[in-house]
Order: sequence, then structure tokens, then C-alpha cells
Amino acid sequence: MVGGAITAPSLAAILNSCKSPSDSAASAFSLDTDQRSLLAEIAEVIIPKTDTPGAKDTGVAEVIEILLKDCYNEDQQKHFMAGLKDLEEESKKLGGSFVSLDDANKMAVLLTMRDKARAEREEADKVKIVDAETGKVKEDHTKKDPPIPFYTLVRDLTIFGYYSSEYGVTKAFDYSPVPGKFDPCIKVSPDQRAYS
Amino acid sequence: MNIQGKGKESVTYDAIVVGSGVSGGWAAKELTEKGLKVLMIERGRELKHIEGYDTAMKESFDFPHRNRLTEQMKKDYWAGIRTGYTINESTQNLFVKDIDDPYEETQRFDWMRAYHTGGKSLHWGRQVYRWNERDFTANGEEGVGIDWPIRYKDLAPWYSYVEKFAGVSGEKRGLDVLPDSDFQPAMELNCVEREVRKGIESNFKGRYLTIGRVAHLTHPTEEQLALGRTACQYRNKCIKGCPYGAYFSTQASTLPAAERTNNLTLINDKIVYEVIFDDEKKKAIGVRTVDQNTKKTEEFYSKVIFLNAGAIGSAWILMQSKSKTHPNGLGNASDQLGRNIMDHHLGVGASGAWEGFEDMYFFGKRPNGIYIPRFANWGSDKRDFLRGFGYQGGGSRGNKGAGDLIGAELKATYTQLGGWSFGIGGFGETLPDQRNRFTLSQNKDQWGLPIINFDAAWRENEWKMREAMESEAAAMLEAAGLKNVRTYHDKEKAPGIGIHEMGTARMGRDPKTSVLNANNQVWGAENVYVTDGACMASSSCVNPSLTYMALTARAADHAVNELKKQNI
Repeated sequence: MVGGAITAPSLAAILNSCKSPSDSAASAFSLDTDQRSLLAEIAEVIIPKTDTPGAKDTGVAEVIEILLKDCYNEDQQKHFMAGLKDLEEESKKLGGSFVSLDDANKMAVLLTMRDKARAEREEADKVKIVDAETGKVKEDHTKKDPPIPFYTLVRDLTIFGYYSSEYGVTKAFDYSPVPGKFDPCIKVSPDQRAYS
Repeated sequence: MNIQGKGKESVTYDAIVVGSGVSGGWAAKELTEKGLKVLMIERGRELKHIEGYDTAMKESFDFPHRNRLTEQMKKDYWAGIRTGYTINESTQNLFVKDIDDPYEETQRFDWMRAYHTGGKSLHWGRQVYRWNERDFTANGEEGVGIDWPIRYKDLAPWYSYVEKFAGVSGEKRGLDVLPDSDFQPAMELNCVEREVRKGIESNFKGRYLTIGRVAHLTHPTEEQLALGRTACQYRNKCIKGCPYGAYFSTQASTLPAAERTNNLTLINDKIVYEVIFDDEKKKAIGVRTVDQNTKKTEEFYSKVIFLNAGAIGSAWILMQSKSKTHPNGLGNASDQLGRNIMDHHLGVGASGAWEGFEDMYFFGKRPNGIYIPRFANWGSDKRDFLRGFGYQGGGSRGNKGAGDLIGAELKATYTQLGGWSFGIGGFGETLPDQRNRFTLSQNKDQWGLPIINFDAAWRENEWKMREAMESEAAAMLEAAGLKNVRTYHDKEKAPGIGIHEMGTARMGRDPKTSVLNANNQVWGAENVYVTDGACMASSSCVNPSLTYMALTARAADHAVNELKKQNI
């Protein structure tokens, strides 16, 4: 819709679509029990429990599933599921399913996935049309952005899920919901954390 | 309100105000305080002060998607999402669901709408600047559009009047280009902003950096306290509605002032689509409405009518108000109705990093930034385009973030303080151009009313100005000592994106070239006043709401005097 003129027929489609089930963006995306456990383990490696809560303690995997279901299109969802499968393949090379690996091997698998994500992104960048004179990427609005690589997305969503949780907002950050005043310049100690 | 079975007198008032946003609220306040019985008609739902701001005290974890856009929301709010910041899980109920109430785009137009009590006054940017003298004379001097029928001196006392009531915080600078308001104490600049100010003002003659002038209370008056308003709490969650009434909104300010007169009746859910014009009396006698829920039509009557439905909404009503005397729409002998849509073009600027002040931070979230007033085509500055632009922005520091880290290291680093950065974005004046317009489509909405079709674009003057907006931003930031200065220039966003749409029923001196006269009265229907953005003959480069407030208070005063003299 963005950037396009609405012609009469498509407008009629919009007007009628309110009542039509095809209007619903609700996706059928869901994880099975094993996939949920796997995602929770992955998130826990990215944000482990230390002297403070980790991804499991703060329900990060549950939030990631909701976000994947409602905030991403089907292409991205499929790409994510393929990534989960690929991660399991990589895990088997190190001796078994991801959840069965020790911490060092779990980390090794994730770093492999990180390298794959980098390669995937470089490949996608090559496909972009580069203007020979300016060296800038030409804008081509007809092309869809490629899906976000698995590792990039699972790490971003883990970080987002953790730091937007109640623990993340109110404890990990410096939380001050009603400051009541503004001090423009205050001296702070080196361990001062940022405000949520 | 049940008016069925009652006589015409039960639906007759002294004045009708259409719309309850910034200017509608002012019209209702002024007219009721001057003793008129006023009916204010809002097309959207009722939304009460404080209790209506149901997300104001919520945090990200209170929302299922942590306040993010869902795919469903992208479909439902296909226009609203174009700003990139207005629609999210916590704000969506304060904006029109575009899919239920669509519009057409011969050329893309980014139209942000808010249909509920208070309109966009609940989530406006709150930046308030007086126009300067040349803003009112430039059209006439340059032969662009039409000359304004009023000058700065006509509006100056009304600026002062509305500022004292609304509450404006800011710093006096004594600049011709940006006349000072009647200020409450200014919010302060942070460490980096102070340095950048020194850097810009010492390197560029005629360029200034000041704290944003905002309609926030920093030192409330007795009158403001009596209305239930308190000083700003520095939460910077304004867009969700302010339970403290600290910024100016209809609900916090003008509505309680109007209500305490006992002269106000506010009805919701009724879409005014036509002003009823009596060809024999040669004046308007009322409005026709359709209920947004029941679709029942109803008429209301009054001696005077204020249209404050928003620049597009008010012009849309006038277009549908056809009579023998006004066959082309009310006051539209000039064919200017719906034309000359202006906005402020933005999405271009620069940012950079500030090295140093590692041990300095701020406390509280200032809901305001800095302002750099116009300097282009001012004084000895001459450009290859007309008019000018201002910048808004600010300095800040946030968390360090994750970088490439993973695991315990990521946790240890993520919420640490990151470096300081400083950025500015331009707000450019748009010239009035008759080609920039909207018309009524053949297609109808769910109430059987004509859908709006936009056909407007940035033109040559705006594109030339944008180049300067980009290069000057970088030049100032570099001179001020910022590192890694990068510019940005978003060419995709269309008119409307500034949410300062205006000009569709312009004021002028001649009914052959304008829709409204010098007092905001519709030509040939002088008991109808239009005092929202529709009335503007040019756009300046400063945020417009303060000027709408002043024009509305001035027009309300005029209307009451004319009623007393029985001129309308």
C-alpha cells in the first residue's frame, strides 16, 4: 500500500475487506513443544542466568513466539523455522540435539549460526543494484527486503524480549517512571546504568 | 442526549463548534466564556481526561507485543504507520483506523487523523512558536499565493492571550525571526546541547540555538492549577495522554474552562457533513450530521458556526455545503476550496557523536528538544529558493547496546551508558500551490459521504530547500565539534507527514481568490468561521498550532461582537 495510489477497484476491496476473513493478518504460526524448548535454550545462551535472571526466568521464548506469530510475515516465519532446523543440523555435528549439548558446544553452534547469518547478509547485499557512479544502492521499491537471517533475528528478539520484560525495564535499566523533575547535567559514577 | 420528539428549540444553540481539537477547544472556551450557549460536535468517540488515557501509566511489558506494531496493525493503520512513530500498541486507540475510513491518493498523501474528544491535541508535538512579521508579508512581497489579509500586529495581542492560558515554556531571545512568547520558565539544555549552542552561535552569525518552546507547564499559574493542571513530571510519555494535564490539550485546558461556564454541550459520534445555508436569509442556519454508530441523520441549529474539523475536514464540510447561492460549495466562488494544501516538509537533517562528558548524565526525561530558528533568506542570507526552515533536535545519551556480544558479556554491557549524540532535523516552509489539492471522490464511505482524494506533492522550491537543509545541518554540527557527522534525507515521505496540513480554505482580501476574509468568516456566509489549519494563506516554517489558537480566540471575539451588533 505504501507509495501507491489507490484506484477505485482496490478501494472497494478495502471497503469490503473489513468484513472479509481474508482481511485478518492473524497467522497460523506456532511452535510445537520441542521447538519451544529449543527456542528457550537458544535464548538462554544469548542471555544466560548469572547473578541476575536470564532469558528463561523472564519468559523470553514465549514473547518471541508471539512476536513471530503476529509481527512478521509468512516469509520471515518460514525463514526462522528453516533456521531452527539448520541449527539442529549444526548441533548434531557436535554430538546431538542443541538442548543436549554442554554450554561450550551450545555457544559454538550459535557462533556457527552467526557466521552463516553474516554470509547470508553479504550474499543479499551483492544482489542489490549498486550505482556505478555514486556507489550508492539504487532504490528499488518493487523488490522486497530479504528475510532477516535466523541468528540475527533470534538474537535481536531475545534481547528485545528480555529488556522489554518487567525485569528488564524496572531492574536491568535504571527505572524512574515519574521523575518529577529534570536535571540537565548531573555527575554520575562509572556504574550508572541507562534509563529504561 | 435524547432529542427525539422534542421541538427545534431543543437542538438550537447560540453557536455550534465542529470539532474538539486544538482550535475547536479554543472556540468552545472563548464563546462559552463570553456567554453563548455552545454545542460542540465531535465526530469521534468520547474520551475523558485522565480516565481515557488508559495506557498512560503502562510499560512495554503490559502489552502482548511489548508495544510493537503487528502485521494486523500495519493493515488497519496503513496511513498512520507512515510516520514510523505515531502508531504502536499503546497509542493505536488514539488514531483513526484507516481501513475503516479510507482515503484515496492520486498522489501519495500521509494523512494522520484522530477522531475522539480532543482530536490531535492529545498527541501533538506541543512545540509552539509565534510567526514573525515577514511570515505575514512574504506572499504579497514575492507574489506567491495571495497576500495575508492580516499582519503580525493583528495577532500579537492574541498570541499573548492564548499563551498565558495555555502555558508556554521557553527562553526569551529577542529575535525578529522568532518573536518571544509570554513564557513560563524554560526547560534547560543538557551538557552537550550547551556546547553545541556555543559552537553554532560563535561560528555562524545570525544562527541561534534555543530550548524548544513547548506548551508544557513548568510553573503553573493559579488559573491553570484551578483547572486541575500540574507541572510537567518529565516522563516524556505525552503521546499516550497526560494524566497530569501538564501539556496543553483540549481535555486538560480548554474543555474544563468551557464546562465551568455551564454554557457548553458536547456531543460525540456525530459527523458534521454539511452547513445548512438559507438562501433567503443569506446565512447559515445550522449543520447536518450523521451518527457514526447508528447512521441516523440529525440537524442542529445556531446563529453562528465555527468549523474546527481540521484543515481537510473543515474544507470537506464546506465542499458538501451546496446551495443556490453557493453552488460550488460554501464560500467557494474562487474555486480555492481544497486547494493550496501545505505542510512542513521534514525527514532531512544530520547527527553526530559528542566525545566527552562520559561522567555526565541527566535526570528526568525532558519532553522537548532544541530549536534552531530560520536563518535562510533572512537578513543578508540569500538562497536559490524562497523562504526558510528551522531545525528541531537535541543531544542525548542512551545505553551502550549489544554490539556483537552474546552471553554474560552482553548482559554486563547492554545497559551501561553509551556515548552522547546530537542530531537535528529540518522543518521547511511549503509554498501554497493551487495544484496541491484534494477533491471529493465518486466513492462513498460507510456513512455514504464522499471519500477524500488527495493530489499534492512537494514542488521545486521544497526540493531545493531540502538540499540546503541537509548540507547546513552537517555544516553546523561539524563546526560545533561533533564527530562522525552523518546526514539523512528521506525522499519517500509525502505531504501530510508533518501533520501540519493547512491552507485548504485560505484567508484573503477578495472572495475571488480566497474562501475566508480577514476575520476567518466564510465569504458570503459571514456567520460561519473557519479557524483551523484550513484558513492559512502560507505556512511559515514554525509549528502552526499556536497560530491556530490565536486566530481562533481573535475570531471568537469578532463573532461575539458581530452578534451583539446584529451583523451576523
